[in-house]
Amino acid sequence: MTDVAKRVIDAGLNLLDRQIIDKDGMMSGNVDDLELTVPEEGGPPVITAILAGPGALARRLGARSGAWLESLHVRLHPSEQPGPARIAFGVVKRVADHVEITVSRSDLDVSRFEKWVRKHVIGKIPGARA
Amino acid sequence: MSVRDLAGTQIRFSDLLRMLVLDVESQEVGRVHDARFVKDGPVQGAFGPGYRLQGLVVGTGSFGARLGFDRASVKGPWPLKAMFRRLHANAKFVDWSQIDSIDGERIRLNVPAASLRPVEPLPS
Amino acid sequence: MRKVLEVSLETLAAIGGFVDIGDIVANSETGARFRMSLAWGGVLGVIGIVLYAEMSGRVATLSHRPVFDLVRERLGARVALVNLVASFFINFLTLTAEIAGVAVTLQLASGINYLAWIPLVALMVWFTMWRVKFSVMEKVYGLLGLALIVTVVAVFRLHEFHTIVREATNLHRPSTEDWPTYFYFAIALFGAAMTPYEVFFFSSGAVEEGWTRKDLMVNRANVYIGFPLGGALSLAIMAGAALLLAPRGISVDHLSQAAIPVTFVLGKLGLGILIFGMGIAFFGAALETGLSGGYIVSQFFGWQWEKFVKPVDAPRFHLVILVSVILAAAFGLTTVDPVKVTEYSIVLSAAALPLTYFPILIIANDPEYMGDKTNSKFSNALGFFYLVLLTAIAIATIPLMIITKAGA
Repeated sequence: MTDVAKRVIDAGLNLLDRQIIDKDGMMSGNVDDLELTVPEEGGPPVITAILAGPGALARRLGARSGAWLESLHVRLHPSEQPGPARIAFGVVKRVADHVEITVSRSDLDVSRFEKWVRKHVIGKIPGARA
Repeated sequence: MSVRDLAGTQIRFSDLLRMLVLDVESQEVGRVHDARFVKDGPVQGAFGPGYRLQGLVVGTGSFGARLGFDRASVKGPWPLKAMFRRLHANAKFVDWSQIDSIDGERIRLNVPAASLRPVEPLPS
Repeated sequence: MRKVLEVSLETLAAIGGFVDIGDIVANSETGARFRMSLAWGGVLGVIGIVLYAEMSGRVATLSHRPVFDLVRERLGARVALVNLVASFFINFLTLTAEIAGVAVTLQLASGINYLAWIPLVALMVWFTMWRVKFSVMEKVYGLLGLALIVTVVAVFRLHEFHTIVREATNLHRPSTEDWPTYFYFAIALFGAAMTPYEVFFFSSGAVEEGWTRKDLMVNRANVYIGFPLGGALSLAIMAGAALLLAPRGISVDHLSQAAIPVTFVLGKLGLGILIFGMGIAFFGAALETGLSGGYIVSQFFGWQWEKFVKPVDAPRFHLVILVSVILAAAFGLTTVDPVKVTEYSIVLSAAALPLTYFPILIIANDPEYMGDKTNSKFSNALGFFYLVLLTAIAIATIPLMIITKAGA
């Protein structure tokens, strides 16, 4: 029986930039960043969420490319406060060389661009569903 | 912000990664290369105990810090292993308790650089 | 018995699928100007691709991760993005060259100008990537590409085997060319053989088809036998040019000139087979390059990229492919010279190799991913030598390109 995850990890080495796989085995983005929350009562922060998508990647890429990516993200997401898509760590099933989650990727915020492309471009070409 | 005032706030890991680390005497220790977590935090849904920060991996040269020569088990080729091991030989581990404040781009410690432990390889 | 047949089929397909427009252009141009003196450049390139493909195949099999996924994991998002932009751009140049190349072979066959063929070729390339199954594609165009054996036949009919071998093994520089040009063409030959898109395609395929440890032997057979024999095809092209074009001072600026040696020896039939072989080879390479572009972008961002799923389930991957093909066709239609685009793509390919090669070399040594199949001491020695070589090439390429005015 494999462990859910290793007991001690270095987040940059073992968690960051890993492929996320959903409950159906579909690829659901990469771990672009992590949200750490410092507990109310003090003490060291805990990883509370995976952040994925252009909103998250923009911060990691730094100055110019990040700003461009962020503006692209803003344009594709008409909601008011487009932040990175957030996957609460509670839905993580396993951390191995990739990260498995217990939900389907269509439930995640990361897939809004994908849904748009599916609906407006790829879905319209004959043979797309074959 | 002092560590006490951080309670209840959120930090992005990528923000931590670029920060400069200064010891109690304002000497530069290096930049944050990585952060070590232990799976002993509060339970999070299906995942079980969450990953709680133990400390930071701080070093000077940053290229190749993620290749795995120093902290994981990559075996070779030996010229690369020798080169990257040397590059990261002076990486230091900063325990969370040794951090005094985190603000903007800097992390200040409450201990001198000399008292910092070297980084141990991850248990396999 | 059936397994042996299957392996042989795959190896044959690997031979036929090895040659693309980069190899044809590089080998015939070099043969025409340098005769066989730069054969070593091609040989170095073939050894390189054998090494690189074996490692990435092994890594993909044991870690279930394709090249670009690992590039991002080990080098981080920022470095990987630079890598992605460079690799995608070079890939795009190659795609344009291959599509234009197919169009040119159709021009040679029909007399109708290649520009008119480009849109149709692009459509066929895209349609094949859209509907045809991966394994079917590979085998069909790989086996049909064996038509290029006609180049080997042509060389043998000239009965100058001793001359060729003697020249190839005598390391010298022709007095008519200077050192910078000599090395620039060596880099071109090297880059034509050690193409990154081949590795992106190969390792993604390994993951997609779910290769297991049992498949490692098959992978090695393909790579150790198929690729060198494919390389031999390339050298046959060089030899044909060396024997028939060089003495007459004919240089290769157009694919039709690359076809002269075979036509001379084997007449119209030979030419017909050659044109067919070239068209198939370029078409197959266009498929690989097109898919590679989709693979690397999707793998960097973590999008669904497998060809096994329905297109609706991998929409962004297919969008990248669609846009790439449209833009490549558009670029081709600007009447940019296909041979020139090919030259740039192979030289820049060589220069960009360290970026993707380096993480693979590292991971091939990581027991956490490879278990007991990490690199042997020999593989590491060779692997490290190639890392140094690739880095040297990366540094030298742009200056040499400027000094020699891109090999003029």
